[in-house]
Amino acid sequence: MGEVIVVTSGKGGVGKTTTTANLGAGLATHGHRVVLVDADIGLRNLDVVLGLENRIVYDITDVTGGHCRLRQALIKDKRFEGLFLLPAAQTKDKTAVSPDQMKALCEELKQEFDYVIIDCPAGIEQGFRNAIAGADKAIVVTTPEVAAVRDADRIIGLLEAAELRDPRLIINRIRPRMVRHGDMMSIEDIIDILAIDLLGVVPEDEMVVISTNRGEPVVQDERSRSGQAYRNIVRRIKGEAVPMMNLDEGGFVSRFLRRMIGLS
Amino acid sequence: MDKGRENPQHRWLSFAGEPVDDNTILIQRTLRSGQKVHYDGNIVIIGDINPGAEVVATGNIIVMGAVRGVVHAGAGGNEKAMVLAFRLEPTQLRIAGHITRPPDGQSSKPEQPEVARIKNGVVTIEIFNGERQG
Ligand SMILES: Nc1ncnc2c1ncn2[C@@H]1O[C@H](COP(=O)(O)OP(=O)(O)O)[C@@H](O)[C@H]1O
Ligand SMILES: [Mg+2]
Repeated sequence: MGEVIVVTSGKGGVGKTTTTANLGAGLATHGHRVVLVDADIGLRNLDVVLGLENRIVYDITDVTGGHCRLRQALIKDKRFEGLFLLPAAQTKDKTAVSPDQMKALCEELKQEFDYVIIDCPAGIEQGFRNAIAGADKAIVVTTPEVAAVRDADRIIGLLEAAELRDPRLIINRIRPRMVRHGDMMSIEDIIDILAIDLLGVVPEDEMVVISTNRGEPVVQDERSRSGQAYRNIVRRIKGEAVPMMNLDEGGFVSRFLRRMIGLS
Repeated sequence: MDKGRENPQHRWLSFAGEPVDDNTILIQRTLRSGQKVHYDGNIVIIGDINPGAEVVATGNIIVMGAVRGVVHAGAGGNEKAMVLAFRLEPTQLRIAGHITRPPDGQSSKPEQPEVARIKNGVVTIEIFNGERQG
């Protein structure tokens, strides 16, 4: 039986959808069967990031509402063998799905897939509650900004309250040069506050934007640093101990090795 | 609020004038943004008070960790209440009716445990050197 991982953040625009798409594609590359669930109902865009928008017939609310079978709503990715998408509804609002329905859906998906990855909407309301209802594990994404870290902290508190223990952190869009000049929160500053295990750090990289606009996850781009970061995260999710990559010559990597050791 | 740091000398602390106070709760986790604790008595926290979290006690607040959120000791008017923390860098610190905040643009990172309490009518922060209290 597979595991259900929710990708969440609190704040919008920090990289949840990008993370979901890249982890899905990366895990599929390792031969796993993966389904990505777009729980951002009313604001769907995981399909666009994957370049699958034109294949959508049914969506998640059709499945929970009993209008189609789960199998009919699953869209097979065009590039990655074993990768599927369950799209969100574009038109309905977030109350169209209930936490109980979401739980049942996750249970069903777990039977067939190794990884069920849920792209959570921003906020802490019903959409968030739905997205975490069926999850076994959580990944919290933040950017190195005070407001994003504050929201991530709030989310971690809510995850703990919902008994989703030991969430892991992805710090996205870090710019080593800005950190060095003291103009951006460092990895250490963020971990000091959030105090959860670091799953990985993804640098700010225009290749993310370019690849997203092409509908091709950057994780398959061998040359980009962000692609390398996502490939490392994928291996850590699989349980491998992968050292943090050096984002910056003479940078801050060694200080975090201590934290990374217990990670696998 | 920063005045006390000039004089890190140890002073005897008064536990609100009482030798033993059994009205205390222990919280063994970090309080995160949006979380609040109010207690009629003392609060001991093994963990941090993160930015956006709030802790209010009618007695003392003792934090074996960092205070970055809002703390209010002596809520209800006890001027002898104190806040003691391994790292005292609160968003706002209140004791009884005194409301304080760190000076703007100054982010001094405390390196050792500190204690905040009212001295001569002002909230003062001093290094807490860990000696036994009377
Ligand atoms: N590491 C990165 N470097 C550059 N741009 C990024 C990075 N991560 C995300 N982005 C961009 O940020 C925007 C928001 O990302 P998205 O994944 O949609 O966030 P969310 O789902 O949390 O709202 C997108 O335009 C995306 O391409
Ligand atoms: Mg999104």
